[in-house]
Amino acid sequence: MTASKLASRSTLFTLATGLVLVALVGWRVASLGDYTFARIVQDFLNALTLGSLYALIALGYTMVYGIIRLINFAHGEIFMLGSYFAFYAMTLTPMHWGLALLVTVLLGGTVLLVLRSLFNLEEPRRTAALALLIFAGTFFLLAFRNMGWIEALLLSMLATGVAGVLLEAIAYRPLRGAPRESMLITAIAASFFLQNMGQLLFGPRVQGFNAETILNRPLNFTIGEETVYYTGILIVVPTVTAVLLFVLNLFVTRTRLGKAMRATAQDAEVAQMMGVNVNQVIALTFFIGSILAAAAGVMYAIRFGQIHPLMGLIPGIKAFTAAVIGGIGSLPGAVLGGLLLGFIEIYVVSLFPTLSAYKDVFAFVLLILILLFRPSGLVGEDLTEKV
Amino acid sequence: MRKSLLVAALLLIAGSLGLAQVKIGINLELSGRFAAIGNQTLNGIKVANLQTPEVLGQQVELVICDNETSREGSIACAQRFVNEGVVGVLGAISSSMSIPAAEVLQDAGIIMISTSSTNPQTTQIGDFIFRMAYTDDFQGKLAAAYVVKDLDAKRIAVFRQIDDDYSYGLAGFFDETAKKLGAKTLIQDFVANTVDFTAQLNNIRSFKPDAIYYSGFCAEGAPFMKQLREQGFAQQVIGADASDDPQCPEGAGAAFDGYIFTGFATPNLIADPEAKKRAEAFKAKYFEVLKDAQPGDFNGFVLAGADSYNVLVAAIKAAGTTDVKAVRDALANMEHYPGVSGDITYKGTDGTPKDRTIGFYKYEVKSASDWKKIELFGKSTAEVQ
Repeated sequence: MTASKLASRSTLFTLATGLVLVALVGWRVASLGDYTFARIVQDFLNALTLGSLYALIALGYTMVYGIIRLINFAHGEIFMLGSYFAFYAMTLTPMHWGLALLVTVLLGGTVLLVLRSLFNLEEPRRTAALALLIFAGTFFLLAFRNMGWIEALLLSMLATGVAGVLLEAIAYRPLRGAPRESMLITAIAASFFLQNMGQLLFGPRVQGFNAETILNRPLNFTIGEETVYYTGILIVVPTVTAVLLFVLNLFVTRTRLGKAMRATAQDAEVAQMMGVNVNQVIALTFFIGSILAAAAGVMYAIRFGQIHPLMGLIPGIKAFTAAVIGGIGSLPGAVLGGLLLGFIEIYVVSLFPTLSAYKDVFAFVLLILILLFRPSGLVGEDLTEKV
Repeated sequence: MRKSLLVAALLLIAGSLGLAQVKIGINLELSGRFAAIGNQTLNGIKVANLQTPEVLGQQVELVICDNETSREGSIACAQRFVNEGVVGVLGAISSSMSIPAAEVLQDAGIIMISTSSTNPQTTQIGDFIFRMAYTDDFQGKLAAAYVVKDLDAKRIAVFRQIDDDYSYGLAGFFDETAKKLGAKTLIQDFVANTVDFTAQLNNIRSFKPDAIYYSGFCAEGAPFMKQLREQGFAQQVIGADASDDPQCPEGAGAAFDGYIFTGFATPNLIADPEAKKRAEAFKAKYFEVLKDAQPGDFNGFVLAGADSYNVLVAAIKAAGTTDVKAVRDALANMEHYPGVSGDITYKGTDGTPKDRTIGFYKYEVKSASDWKKIELFGKSTAEVQ
């Protein structure tokens, strides 16, 4: 069979599936009766927010996989760390100047060391300027500011990025070249370790994450006689996800470091021979992936209002599912997969209320179908080619 | 021969030095979703243990096992206690963790006293299984009567966690009674660790409920209440004993303001004046021992934890031996034990105390760190029978 025939066949198949789905949804909407237009809009906004959150986590997941083919099961825990860092940044500041100094030296020192190794900061003057900026900035934020959510978000992204690099250096780098299963098992172990460390350090209790921010402000509007309820976060999360996807794509396709990343993804050994510092590229990948996880963690905490040490588990699994559905390793795929998952979860509950407990089953059935019929995901490329 | 003589000699020495110990296992949710309630219960047990550290002249040793709020963890704890040979096991808190542990312990012939499992099934697993709580048929009935009659609600939306024995069962009892009293209900399901309730909330919008009943826990309850208020629902929400957990107001802050729930009685709500005195004395002792305890950390779960320890020790004393069978018989025949949570009688029941008080409470929440629990009134299960 020729390729074009195959393509037209799969297009037909997709079209038919789409038509069946549309018919099914249309029939449900008609038979539900009280499913008004305002409720449809409400569901759509809710699904968009949830899906964008999944997409944001899935982006980090898929980046790491794309470069070193590692399913980083600890990604959910990095996400948890991100929300805790922001939580403490908001609740513990302004702190006593002595304590602030100590934290600044420890945190700033680690951040500086990691940044230096990531971006080849050789020139002493620039390094000194960066050091001054980091130390002064951190000290100022810790000692004199009662941090708002934006400052907390930025600080948390930086700290979590560094935590991700440390995780890679400690847990994964020594296993470079080992069979992939060893890495996978290590990732699971790292995930358990971080969960338990979180319980020990942060306490096992649920903590309220009550940021009185613009993100929680109601921005309701009415359609006809009915009100559609939404808050600022329903705009911010999809926007942030879209912007990050755009920037990341630009970074990977247009910059030297991005080129090095793609080279490492295709063949790490050959890339190394061509002068690419593979360790540095991988560390950078973890840095970016963890920054994304932190951003998602803070958004998630603001949206749902609470954090706890095991909070990363379920979103981690969901993001993994989203990444695989979209095509693991592909950035737009991760976003598409996340959105799809969000829409399934919301619409299963609205259209089939009696099946609402099984919404995850629908998501995982989709995962199995995708793996069976399109193993490389919705927008993933052929298995032979890595990205 | 020589070896066994040596062992016997050592044992004799150990015995004469008073090293003999009575081991009591504790299987609680000390981490995970129910961590707050688990640690409150443990504190209750610890304070009771301080008050009565010895029985039959032997030291009581508490062997603590954290089930991490998981069924597997609870079974593992139960199996560990079977191997260690304890007299009895206290816990778990929740029905979902208690039922699997009860099956293991019943088979091994070890006493189990669940501190706060309210699902009727738990004690029906066997004759070695007891509890310190009332059951959900009472709780559901009382709550439904309150919502339909006192709050005058004709349309009630019910939220239940479908993968939890307690939440699912309780919602069923509530729903049954509410319908019997002439109310219309609409049930919405969710599962453990759900954080996004927006779709379920959108589903109840056109039902236009007068009141909402929530039979789940705080881990899901906090995001539930936050989204409920954000999505424009101002109705009265009624919860159950799983909401008697600081994680609720601390997790969602002002969204919990005005939230009413049923739960284990605090000293003020216990009708019997003698029992009330004992509860007050215990409360004083609790705050004396645990200096940095928050006022919100003392609740009915603490009392239930303390009494599950107290009745087991009392049964060992009554039996005059640590033989498990004899202790079980003593426990099953216990009548009018003066507990800190009220009068405890197991004689003639399936392992559920005959008379328990269910309290009605209301949260007054200004913010996550500034909240209190108002005691409304108490109802004895004996009255309902």
